[in-house]
Amino acid sequence: MGSDEDFRKRSQSPAFTPVRRVTPENSPETPAEKAPDPQLVDGVIDARRYTSAEFMKLEWERLWTRVWLLGARELDMPEPGDFVVTEIGPESILIVRQSDGGLRAFYNVCQHRGNRLRPCGVGTSGTTRSITCPYHHWEYELDGSYRRIPDLDTFPQGAPPRGLKELRCDTWGGFVWYTLNESPEPLRDFLGVIPKHLDPYNFNRMVQTRDLTVEWHCNWKTSVDAFNESYHVQGIHPQLLWYLHDLDIQIDCYERHSRYLIPFGTLSPRVRKPPGIPEPIKTIMKGAGMDPADYDGPITNIRHDVQKHKRALGATQGRDYSRLNDDQLTDDYHYFIFPNLSLNVHADDFWIFRQRPHPSDPDRMFYDIMTYELVPAGTEWPERVPHRQWRHGDKSIGTVLDQDAANLPGVQAGMHSAGFNGLWLGRQELRIRHFHKVIDDYVYGPAGRPPGAP
Amino acid sequence: MDLGLRGKKAIVTGATKGIGRAIVELLALEGADIGLCARDADEVAETVAALKVRGINAVGEAVNVRDGEHYKAWLERTATALGGCDIFIPNVSAGGGFDSEKNWVKSFEVDVLHTVRGCETLMPHLEKSGSGSIVIISSTNALETFGVPQAYNAMKAALLTYSKQLSQHVGKRGVRVNSISPGPVYFDGGAWELIKGTMPKLYDWAVKQIPIGRMGAPEEVARVVAFIASPAASLITGSNIVADNGFTKRVQF
Repeated sequence: MGSDEDFRKRSQSPAFTPVRRVTPENSPETPAEKAPDPQLVDGVIDARRYTSAEFMKLEWERLWTRVWLLGARELDMPEPGDFVVTEIGPESILIVRQSDGGLRAFYNVCQHRGNRLRPCGVGTSGTTRSITCPYHHWEYELDGSYRRIPDLDTFPQGAPPRGLKELRCDTWGGFVWYTLNESPEPLRDFLGVIPKHLDPYNFNRMVQTRDLTVEWHCNWKTSVDAFNESYHVQGIHPQLLWYLHDLDIQIDCYERHSRYLIPFGTLSPRVRKPPGIPEPIKTIMKGAGMDPADYDGPITNIRHDVQKHKRALGATQGRDYSRLNDDQLTDDYHYFIFPNLSLNVHADDFWIFRQRPHPSDPDRMFYDIMTYELVPAGTEWPERVPHRQWRHGDKSIGTVLDQDAANLPGVQAGMHSAGFNGLWLGRQELRIRHFHKVIDDYVYGPAGRPPGAP
Repeated sequence: MDLGLRGKKAIVTGATKGIGRAIVELLALEGADIGLCARDADEVAETVAALKVRGINAVGEAVNVRDGEHYKAWLERTATALGGCDIFIPNVSAGGGFDSEKNWVKSFEVDVLHTVRGCETLMPHLEKSGSGSIVIISSTNALETFGVPQAYNAMKAALLTYSKQLSQHVGKRGVRVNSISPGPVYFDGGAWELIKGTMPKLYDWAVKQIPIGRMGAPEEVARVVAFIASPAASLITGSNIVADNGFTKRVQF
């Protein structure tokens, strides 16, 4: 066994020169300044919240049925009668474009015998003139009122008092949001700073390029945690150390949501300067229209040169970056919208990872991958990809996400172990601590604390 | 065995890292004076200082060998500063790349043209030496199919042909010309470290091709280069020495 000094020496994080970042005054819209860190207790996050059916029930009653949730993309349902089915826990939700162009959301359940009106499952979508239950053909108008109940005269009590049970829905960012909460705060209040930060990207210019659901063998929070820290890059994504800076990361926690800003197109201080430009960084350069074979400067200048190049050439390529700051042209502006959306946002694309709890099993969840790419002005709008779904490990979802996916069942199994009490988090994992604080606020009330908490 | 390197004047390009660095370290240890270049001025200064500790004369400058005039002027300056040139080892390479036609131009200028310009510029000094020796650094990529068709492999092959013909041409003037073809060489900050980190499957495949199960080290290549460069290898010219730990599978008759 080594001495304490050896232990500390081996464990020391590497020193580094900070990357050049835009100053707040050079960011036209998305605020660039660091938010003050929340004052959170350094305690252990109890592992039981990842495994207990009781905590899962509390989450359902006090969190999932209170928050706003992402339901559909407006571009997927432009015409009256277009509908999209989404799911959260045990509930299936039907979002329908109305004759007047508005939107309504309903529980996907017939008022007659409880049958699903449309097949469950994220990815179900279509167009209809009215909503007919496939069982006894009860038929509803797009606004949820009754259109036809076969043999109504054989129901001496008449029709049930109201049509489809409706939910609140609203739109932001080109997406339809819904809530199971019957008296929710307005969506804008719930989203807080998010619209101000993300509106400049104008998501409506982007076409969907991936739409995938994988059932993962872990709790939904195990997956959220995996995307809210960069500490694991050196552990399970070693190849990314030649692609991004995993230590010089600006973490900003807001009321419920959070973000971190990860410099892309540069090297981690954990690796030595390589003899040539790493392939992943070449990909960034090519994406910006640069030829890596032409590049004679040091690797550490590439990020800044890509920014300059995109700024100069964006307009000629039909890519309007005028609302974005220079760092947004290269870096990963990674947002977490409570409780279940991780957004990797970039100038030319963005990815949404959505974690949905399983209807009944705390050890399972649904992981949705939705990616979008900027369609340059003047080019034809491509067709969006169809939705696909499979189970954990059935197919590759890409090298990096496969690395995340492969690790999570082990984490979940460990949460059940008598040899583990809970998460021991460092500064790089501040967003995880903040996430669980917000969960506590919902589950136990803002002044409340989890049982046994310090 | 005394290699006879003491007091010889050696000029090595790209000598701050990897194989080039190991070559100058070993030549300096054997008592040769060193002139070196690399792209990064700080790294050049650090290397020169490290060599001088050996008690030999060492000079170095930051040079981009693609700039032909600047490069040739540096060679002349260096030969003058050292008081001649007995050994020339053109070691710089543009490395791999297969995604743009520009890689061909870059590889031609860096790998081929810098070697040719160096040999031609320094030839008068090498002739005067009496034991003039050029060691050109090629690669096993020139000998067997490796990876994808790319400029690096083809330009390293061009160096082998050039090396052989040059040896015939200048032999009567007392200058020996040989080439070394190292197989995969692993070192901190080297190409294989990057490949191991970013393309682990390719790295694992390459290691499996090596019977002894490990890649070469720069010091191992340097020992071959130092011998071939030295007067001790007086019988060897026009050869290509494969130093690859058994990576290549062809039979050398």
